Amino acid sequence: MSEKPKLAMYWASSCGGCEIALVNIHEMILDVDAVFDFMFCPCLLDTKIKDIKALEDKAITLTLFNGAIRTTENEEMAHLLRRKSEVLVAFGSCAHEGCIPGLANLHRSEDFLESIYVDNPTIDNPESTYPLPECDMPEGTLSLPEFYDRVSTLAQVTDVDYFIPGCPPEPHQVRAVLQAVMSGEDLPPRGSVLGAGSAIVCEECARVKADKKITRLYRTYEIQPDTEACLLEQGILCMGVATRSGCGAPCLEANMPCTGCYGTPEGSMDQGARMSAALGSIIEVDGKGLSEDELARRFNKILDHIPDYAGLFYKYSMSSSIMKARRK
Amino acid sequence: MENNAQHEGNHGGQGEKLKTSVYFCRCGSNIASRLNENAALLKIECQRDVSKVKAVNLLCSEEGKEFLKNDIMEDRPDRVVIAACSPREHELTFRGVLRDADMNPYLMQMANIREQAVWVTEDIDEATEKAVRLVRAAVSRVQKHEPLEEHEIEVCPDVLIIGAGPAGMKAALSIAQSGRKAVLVEKTPVVGGMPVLYEEIFPNLECGPCMLEPMMDEILHGEYSSNIELLTLSEVDELLGFYGNFVARIRKTPRYVDMDKCIGCAECFEPCPVQVRNTFNFGLDVKKAISFPFLGALPNAPYIDSRKCLRFIGEECTMCRESCPIEGAIAYEQEEEMIERKVGAVLVAVGADLYDPTNIPNLGYGKALGVYTSMEFERLLSSNGPTEGKIKNMGGSPPSSVCIVHCAGSLDENHKEYCSGICCQTAFKFNHMIESQLPGTRIIHLYKELVIPGKDDFSLHHEAKDNPNAEFVRYEDIRDINIYTPGEQENVQVDYRDASGREGSFMADMVVLCMALTPPAGSEELALKLGIPLDSSGFFEELHGRLDSVQSKVKGVYLAGTCRSPMDIQKALDQSMASAGYILSGLVVGRKLEVKPTVAEVDADRCGGCRICVSVCPFKAVEIDGETGKSSVNAVLCQGCGTCVAACPSGAIKGNHFTREEILAEIIGGLR
Repeated sequence: MSEKPKLAMYWASSCGGCEIALVNIHEMILDVDAVFDFMFCPCLLDTKIKDIKALEDKAITLTLFNGAIRTTENEEMAHLLRRKSEVLVAFGSCAHEGCIPGLANLHRSEDFLESIYVDNPTIDNPESTYPLPECDMPEGTLSLPEFYDRVSTLAQVTDVDYFIPGCPPEPHQVRAVLQAVMSGEDLPPRGSVLGAGSAIVCEECARVKADKKITRLYRTYEIQPDTEACLLEQGILCMGVATRSGCGAPCLEANMPCTGCYGTPEGSMDQGARMSAALGSIIEVDGKGLSEDELARRFNKILDHIPDYAGLFYKYSMSSSIMKARRK
Repeated sequence: MENNAQHEGNHGGQGEKLKTSVYFCRCGSNIASRLNENAALLKIECQRDVSKVKAVNLLCSEEGKEFLKNDIMEDRPDRVVIAACSPREHELTFRGVLRDADMNPYLMQMANIREQAVWVTEDIDEATEKAVRLVRAAVSRVQKHEPLEEHEIEVCPDVLIIGAGPAGMKAALSIAQSGRKAVLVEKTPVVGGMPVLYEEIFPNLECGPCMLEPMMDEILHGEYSSNIELLTLSEVDELLGFYGNFVARIRKTPRYVDMDKCIGCAECFEPCPVQVRNTFNFGLDVKKAISFPFLGALPNAPYIDSRKCLRFIGEECTMCRESCPIEGAIAYEQEEEMIERKVGAVLVAVGADLYDPTNIPNLGYGKALGVYTSMEFERLLSSNGPTEGKIKNMGGSPPSSVCIVHCAGSLDENHKEYCSGICCQTAFKFNHMIESQLPGTRIIHLYKELVIPGKDDFSLHHEAKDNPNAEFVRYEDIRDINIYTPGEQENVQVDYRDASGREGSFMADMVVLCMALTPPAGSEELALKLGIPLDSSGFFEELHGRLDSVQSKVKGVYLAGTCRSPMDIQKALDQSMASAGYILSGLVVGRKLEVKPTVAEVDADRCGGCRICVSVCPFKAVEIDGETGKSSVNAVLCQGCGTCVAACPSGAIKGNHFTREEILAEIIGGLR
């Protein structure tokens, strides 16, 4: 048994990108292995849950928990790892703010089952058989984790010590956090966001910013954007203004708009609300002498270029937004 | 209830329970009779965070205020909620009481249970419930309040006035009379603006220069003229700073005549070998390269037109200096200067221009002979104008018929949508002057609308209506008028279709186009330099069209006269005095400027420099730091409107006293 501090990484409702992000720290993974006993990571290692259950409480020094909480199993693991971990980190956008899984909150869980198991061109299911949490068979009762109606963030089900935003977190930020932990230096107060800035992506974006007035919006395929000027000023819906800094703005460097993966800015409670307030403030319609109906029509014409409000403004933060989910 | 020691500095830190007192005002019977008071008090008292509740008959009365003050001083609560009327009515009253009671006035929140509950809710139980919820919201909100401090800054009481027309001059005199300095900046070489060019001024037909002469004299040589710095041939190049502390940079171009030495004898005109078109007569005649703009122009010193003077196009000529009896009065060596002045307020009174008549080609201006704008006709009427006041075509004889086109470009969606307001009176004044100089002249008025409000303005209209030689034809669209010179003739033909669709035609020796009044040339540039907005018509935009029509959207920059909207001289002077009133009462010598704490504040750590706040601020109060790229709000200019707070996508801007935490607490408290 190693005397090294234990490191765990778990995936709840997630895509696996966060594990890739960890490996993306390149050679530093060797340092991590040298310092830690990397003992639990279902994506990479074969440790079983019973092994975790057998540990003493707080036996794991650091757990990087990625993924949102969508099923009873996700939540059970969250509680278990909370109990067994000294420091529990919500790693990546899903655990932090719900991310893509959180968009499920715009629909009912029955609707998902319907479109996955029945109303689907590649499925032949004439008896409309759905997966059930429990199923009695001659050999006994089979069970599946239960599917929640609402996707939650890690902090909504258990106490979280730190948050590392990003979809996935950028390697240089993962490195910086691990470095800080390994060096034993004092970490910021519990509840803090690590591996990110406190402002917005614009702070790290090298583009030239001017006063903002937009008269029409463009989707990325409709325009060849100027590489020097602010994309939002060019009418491209760049979420950078309403997204926490820390990524280093690599998308902007590649002439693509920010989609908002570093999530809600430090000073805000709702990324989507902030973006729509900002956008409403800078979209300009020449309203001189127009009736209110005509004004509304022109404004709507500009807004028609946003095909999916929730998917754009709340792509990464639906679960942690003020509304959190569709109200039935 | 425990009476702890003072809770000074207790700002709602975690876990600490704040002592919160609720004062419930019965407002006589206004509130008391419309709800169940006992039930309400009981429910309020058992609310979380409420330390005590006291009902008072009339909290805003002298006894009420005295009671409130003493109770606060005795009790020393951390927070106070006053359940009473609208904060619009008494928030300042109660803030004053808190201040007297040695408590930070911003640690109080009012719950408007009168207007928002009992007055609008008939059912007593419902009114009670609503009032309790409003109090709960206020109690919840006030826990988050922070003590805010007003502070004061030094101000400069002097004033920059741009434009030395009647409005600018009037304001300069008032400012000077109060003992402050007025810097009066005028683009042209003369003072007096537009009306100094008019022979007679409606409605009482006073002579323009004579009417303005006493005012101009006072500016130049009056009792308070030492307080007025008149800078002619000058324009504002840059305005920095903010209300109370502006720095204006003024570009002064040389007159090449020393105004202190020149006695205005005009000896230099005759020898000058260069003739230039006289812009003060709209090019209708010529004058010398050194001359007065017109006879009687003030200040009484000529100027050299450096675009035409031989010296400035590379030739050697000293004719004017040689003829001048005063040593050093002609000053070729003068150079452009950049003058800097510190002022506390700015008045923009730059006047207006006429709409360019070539924009309506069917009116024949510039093509048909004898077609003049109203300004040109004013100069023809003027005894110091190109015809010395004789009504005649340039080089021609007196007209036997004159057509006056009203509303030219006004009330017209293709040109200017507004009514220019002064053209009717101008046209009727012309009617009078034509009739008195050339009795029997046929005068045809083509008009779209007649607008003649006010107690003085009917007489010229009546006179025109009663003139047997005057005809009135109403047209509907300016495109229904066609003015041109047919064949070899010297006069013009006017074809028209009247409002009822009848077509007609007549010959006229002269046509006067009463063009719409427009914002002056260069107003966009000036607006940019001053940082103030223009309205959709291009005039300088007022803070509020009814309540604050002489304030611009930027605090400390005021507007007067036709640069704000078409208007007559009376209204322009009223506005200049209104502006002077704002300035004199707002910037008082020896008094500091109070800066309200309820403004927006930027947390630089959270600001990403996206500049959205700069784009949305209607008061130009947000600035971007050139080095850090982050924004900051100038507390003097900020009006606390919250627009940037709502627009800031990073949540870096906080609206003091309306923070997100406070508003959210209020909502949660009300819904709990």
